Amino acid sequence: MRTFLAMLVAGFALSGVTGAQAYHRFWATCNSDAPTFMTTMTRDAAQDYANAARYEGYQWGGGCWNYDDVDSYPSDPPQETGTHGEGGDCSGLTFKTWRESTDTTRDGRYYWRALRNVHGPYDAASFRAGNGAPNHTVAKATAGVMDAFASSTHIGMVFVRSLYGGDQIVEAKCETCGTNIFYRTYRGDSAYGGVGRWGWTG
Amino acid sequence: MRRPRFRSLAGGAAGIAAGVIGGVLLASVSAAVPTPVAAAPPLIDATHVPPALTTPGAAVRLRYGLVCTPREDGLPCDGSGVVYLRAGQSGPFRSYTLRRGEESRDGRYYLDVPPSLADSPDGFSYYAILRDDATGATTTVPSGGADAPQVSLPLQHPTTIALGSHVFGDVRTPDARAAEAAWGSGRDDVGLAGSRELGYTGPSSFDVEPDGTVDILDSVNGRLVRASHAHREHVPLDGTLELADLAAEPDGSFDVLDEHATLRSFRSDGTSKWAQKLADRTWAKLEHGPSVLQEPSEQWMPVAEDGAPLTRNEQKRGAHTANHGLIVDRVGEGELLLAEVRGNAPVRGWRITSETPLGEVQLAEPHGNGAVVVTRAYTAGRDEFVVLVLESRGLVQRFSVASDSWTETAPLARFRLARGALYRLRTTPAGASVDRFDLEVPQ
Repeated sequence: MRTFLAMLVAGFALSGVTGAQAYHRFWATCNSDAPTFMTTMTRDAAQDYANAARYEGYQWGGGCWNYDDVDSYPSDPPQETGTHGEGGDCSGLTFKTWRESTDTTRDGRYYWRALRNVHGPYDAASFRAGNGAPNHTVAKATAGVMDAFASSTHIGMVFVRSLYGGDQIVEAKCETCGTNIFYRTYRGDSAYGGVGRWGWTG
Repeated sequence: MRRPRFRSLAGGAAGIAAGVIGGVLLASVSAAVPTPVAAAPPLIDATHVPPALTTPGAAVRLRYGLVCTPREDGLPCDGSGVVYLRAGQSGPFRSYTLRRGEESRDGRYYLDVPPSLADSPDGFSYYAILRDDATGATTTVPSGGADAPQVSLPLQHPTTIALGSHVFGDVRTPDARAAEAAWGSGRDDVGLAGSRELGYTGPSSFDVEPDGTVDILDSVNGRLVRASHAHREHVPLDGTLELADLAAEPDGSFDVLDEHATLRSFRSDGTSKWAQKLADRTWAKLEHGPSVLQEPSEQWMPVAEDGAPLTRNEQKRGAHTANHGLIVDRVGEGELLLAEVRGNAPVRGWRITSETPLGEVQLAEPHGNGAVVVTRAYTAGRDEFVVLVLESRGLVQRFSVASDSWTETAPLARFRLARGALYRLRTTPAGASVDRFDLEVPQ
């Protein structure tokens, strides 16, 4: 019994290391609700959705945020899904904004609420290739509002074109820069390709 | 020493297991308490691409996008709006109600400008107020409203320049290397960060001082590198520098504009003078003054005057469309309109067309008795910068510059025009360099 009690104390101490804590951070506030199947999906409603994710942070492999305009866990180590912080990553934000299914063969419209923790099956390179039933490649010169530019490492959606020929892009960019609307020159950059979502209704 | 019995070994293992499980459960319970979400004010924003330069006789449609708090039913916001228009740039505005269309690709809310205003020889000026009818929230575009409205001018008799189809691979070799550094954190280096998966960042911007000293914003190492023929100096800087833009001021101070839309002014030794938030939410380019091309207004706004920062309202009131006396309007897939203005009137203009799509305009500034423009020609798989030296009669000089870059920079920070030459920031797997291209001077 004395050994058990001594080891119980040691076990409590061990449970306090970062690795055990890391699995219970922002994601503990998220849910696994089913998405709402929609018959409509407009580009400006998608702008509303992506715009509301601004300031909510960035999480590698993530797809869950609230609407308090604060990144609850900023400056996590990059490229670690296990940090479970707030925000989507670039492809997670795009997947949810584009109302896609986790089943890559389905091209219907699935509305995921902000606190629904889902990243989706695509990374930036998959989007760039136009993989999945709802996605396709588009000519960059004709890419418009809520189409996207994707490279092998990143994807951002066109919020609106700009006078000087660049674009305001809504994107989950990085841990330090978070999710926001930034002016970018992806359109002319050959590292990026144009990507679109089938099924806009207005 | 007595050997441990099986029962004590088992008891110890069970104790550790129970302790770890108990600790994790307690931690999860404490962390699982939801973060209270503050009652945020209703979101509202707008998008608009102004027709800064128009073709006389052509119909003009103003389009706006309205962005609101996401609705629970997933539909777009139910909005409305009014545009305040006038001929020229003085006098009272008249209100016109925006119409709501079925399609939002180019902006759901629109107004066809009455021909009497669209055809005005002095152009027209305007601003709009859009409203989310569900919450009553409103937003004004441009943010200066009646104090600094959007200006649209007719491009009368522009000099037309047809670039044809861009020939890739024929890039010009620089005339000189003004500065270079290898990757690293040493005295002669500039910093590189990131990974193949995330992409790399390095020096995000640069500038050239009147004496030829090249200033490189060494974002990763948190410093400014000042390189001249004689020596190299480092100025340590605080704050976020990743993807920030840089402007060196004539008095030796310099300005840094960061990704969070804060402009910070530093003395020449790197000590902070002041910091100021931009009036608008996003920016595209920083210029001396300092002056910033801000979004969504699409206007240049002064951020300081006589060395002191301007409030956000003062920035809005000081907004204007022209920069260096030039108005830039990249339209369609491969067309660039450019006008030189004096006061509020266009003096001369250029209409540049390209069969190869054109990307962003990196730089447009007066040069001699003409202007220099740097834009980007691109296809699905290739891109190059195109440098055009313009005069009233047409093209004085044209050449291509390689656009590949190992790292990401601030968006419109790849070129600077200084001392009559064009400077370019370039990064490769080996390091960063600033190259100089000498330009012909329009007479």
